Amino acid sequence: MMADQPLLEIRNLESFYGPIMAIRGVSLKVEKGQIVTVLGANGAGKSTLLKTISGIMDPEKGQIIFEGEEIQGLEPHVIVKKGIVHIPEGREVFPLLSVDENLTLGAYTRSDSAEIARDRQLVFDYFPILADRRRQEAGTLSGGQQQMLAIGRGLMLRPRIMLLDEPSLGLSPLLVQEIFDILKRLNEDEGVTMMLVEQNARVALELADVGYVMEIGRIVMDGSAERLMQSEDIKAFYLGHQAEGQRGERRWKRKKTWR
Amino acid sequence: MNLPAQIDVNGIKVNAIPGQRPVLVDGHATIVSLFAARCRELGARTAHREKDMGIWQSYSWADYWDHARWIGLGLVALGLKRGEVVSILSEDRREWAYADMGIQSVGGIASGVYTTDSAAQLEYLLRDSDSRFLLVEDDEQLDKFLEIADRAKQVTKVIILEQEGLHDLNNDRCIFIDELYRIGQEFDQANPGFFEAEIDKARPNDTGLLIYTSGTTGAPKGAMLSHENIIAAIEGGAHVLPAYATDEQLCFLPLCHILERNVSIYFPLGAKCIVNFAESPETVFDNMQEVSPSTFFAVPRVWEKVYSRVLVLVQEATWIGKLAFGLAIRAGQKRAAFAIVNQPVPVGVAINYAIWDFLVLKNLRRMLGMNRMRRGGTGAAPISPELLKWYWAIGVPLVEGYGMTENAGISTINTPDANRPGSVGRAVPGIKIRVSDEGEIQTHGLNNFQGYWRNNEKTAEIYTDGGWLRTGDVGRIDADGYVTITGRMKDIIITAGGKNITPAEIESRLKFSHYIADAVVIGDGRKYLTCLIMIDQENVEKFAQDAKVPFSDFASLCAAEEVLTLIRREVEAVNADFSRVEQIKDFRLINVLLTAEDEELTATMKLKRGLVEQKHKALIDQMY
Repeated sequence: MMADQPLLEIRNLESFYGPIMAIRGVSLKVEKGQIVTVLGANGAGKSTLLKTISGIMDPEKGQIIFEGEEIQGLEPHVIVKKGIVHIPEGREVFPLLSVDENLTLGAYTRSDSAEIARDRQLVFDYFPILADRRRQEAGTLSGGQQQMLAIGRGLMLRPRIMLLDEPSLGLSPLLVQEIFDILKRLNEDEGVTMMLVEQNARVALELADVGYVMEIGRIVMDGSAERLMQSEDIKAFYLGHQAEGQRGERRWKRKKTWR
Repeated sequence: MNLPAQIDVNGIKVNAIPGQRPVLVDGHATIVSLFAARCRELGARTAHREKDMGIWQSYSWADYWDHARWIGLGLVALGLKRGEVVSILSEDRREWAYADMGIQSVGGIASGVYTTDSAAQLEYLLRDSDSRFLLVEDDEQLDKFLEIADRAKQVTKVIILEQEGLHDLNNDRCIFIDELYRIGQEFDQANPGFFEAEIDKARPNDTGLLIYTSGTTGAPKGAMLSHENIIAAIEGGAHVLPAYATDEQLCFLPLCHILERNVSIYFPLGAKCIVNFAESPETVFDNMQEVSPSTFFAVPRVWEKVYSRVLVLVQEATWIGKLAFGLAIRAGQKRAAFAIVNQPVPVGVAINYAIWDFLVLKNLRRMLGMNRMRRGGTGAAPISPELLKWYWAIGVPLVEGYGMTENAGISTINTPDANRPGSVGRAVPGIKIRVSDEGEIQTHGLNNFQGYWRNNEKTAEIYTDGGWLRTGDVGRIDADGYVTITGRMKDIIITAGGKNITPAEIESRLKFSHYIADAVVIGDGRKYLTCLIMIDQENVEKFAQDAKVPFSDFASLCAAEEVLTLIRREVEAVNADFSRVEQIKDFRLINVLLTAEDEELTATMKLKRGLVEQKHKALIDQMY
């Protein structure tokens, strides 16, 4: 593998939901050790992008290159084995299984039991609350705990990259902060590469190194997280800065320019 | 009074010999008396349609009359005097037409402001025109005024069309349109017949409207157009642009621009047709499909966009669809080669076309909302002859015309019956046209404007001693009277080698490429020519997608090596047609996506040479 090759590269990807083109030519790169965030409103195509990477959906056109190898169109279980973990929107833990069992399923593709036990301990180190609840049915956990479990279950695979689909969804601001702090530590201490799809632009940009903005299936802007945070469009449309109008708060939005 | 002989053109009476005073349309010499007569005559018939909550609603000529009357009388009650200016800052909507007629009926002068203008530009226009009143569409536009309210003291009242978001507004200089209607109604009850009397006071040489020219150089100037100018334009239009009372039109370009103003407000006064207002500039193509207009006038950018959309759709079709489309276009092109220059189509070609028309082209036109289109028009910028031919091939007769604000927007036009692609057509009846010794096109006629508002110096500059209007365009007239425009006088580049070059010729050739939206050629006082290019986002993105060129945002698209190569090939293809000194040696892409709000673009999305050169100086310097 060439040293300067990105861990994950997407080239000119197009994906359809039936007749509807959900992704209209997206190209992006994730370097090893980076956190890359993809921002966008509902229906921008963010989740479709993740689903296409993890093999749940097949792209119509374009390439997904992971560690120098084209993986588009492969079956999801093959892609998981390559070390790509998809943590879906809305957690999707197995509700009738215990926390422990959920974590065991996360390591389903692995057989090195000593290492698995170490990783289980690692998950409990990062999410102590899961250790306290390890015998409890996952369905009885709170939303935030379920999200932690979903991330923990993903970690059990020792992923080379984690695809996170809106981990902040439906969580209180405090919990969001807590989970994002943990994601940051996981990235810094364990070197986990992440691709994070978010609507909550503020926390996502604080966490990420690089960001892309998607609108109706296209990337309209990209750059370092700092650059995006300075952009007038991001401020107005994603960070909720209200420009002071002539009459105090103004109702109308400026037009997007993406520059 | 001895009235000139009248003839009937498609049900409208105009002077038998156009270009003579008094200019009459159905016996009326002013816009407002024609307006009053039409409202009396047509009453409950539909004049306008507009979407409300997603449903097309009809508004009659009686509505037109009532609302215009209330606006006019309301403004009078608030202190408007004859000869004073009222500015209108709104997207296209029926109230725009109501206000235009209301203001002019009571002797005011209507002046439109682009919704994309900034607060500073609004301030300049209000002060320069000395506007007493301002109509604004909504809170967004109102904020522009409030920002400069202290510096525009001569504006006594601002009338707001939409209340949304403004319920807590508390400013005694602002009222809502309903309030103005109420004031107008009260004034009407107290002074019956006042409005009609004001209309009778209008004289053909009264100024009816101000149109600020986009001004690629210097500050905008307000062109004064009289009632006679507009009536002359309606008369000229009636001769060459047949329109019927059953016609449907779609209004979507800014009404501040003379083109849309003529087409959607003044010409329908003559033709009595129905004007449908598009919801927004973004929904034009959907609205087009819903309305299916009988005639449609647009700038080349719009025609190019429709063409691109069709090509994209075809790319995504099945192989059978692609094949059928390809054959249909070929059949269409064969027929177009004859039809476009009004030659009889050979029987075989016609039959072949009829089959493909039935199978493919008819459906395509229905999908585009062009199935009823009798005539498409284009103007305000050059259009590629290939594109004209493509529209003829799919069965849409598209013709090019030429006019400018200063001659009420109309001077020459091609018609589906007398068409020479590449030219802008022959002079409209009543209008004379000539080429000066310097090669400048000059026009003469009763449509020539009265001069620039409070700017005698500029007015003197634009007219010759004989009263010919210097258009500033360079061109030629052929033996049959067809005019071809080659460039702008002012833009002539003199290179360091002393060679005179008209950049527009090179620029329009570049623009004919589907990948180039606009270009500005540079080289005044320089050793060689270079140019700045604005790429066509949609088509270049499509190219990049097909060629598997990764890109994320617009800047990265412009930086892609393959895209640069693509544009270089396009430039080289154009270079091949020009002599060595006229060839483009280098180019740069403008890598920000410009929008109508950017001052580098005119309202019709053309690059402004001066500002582009100034703003992108760094790019230019790289090339020398």
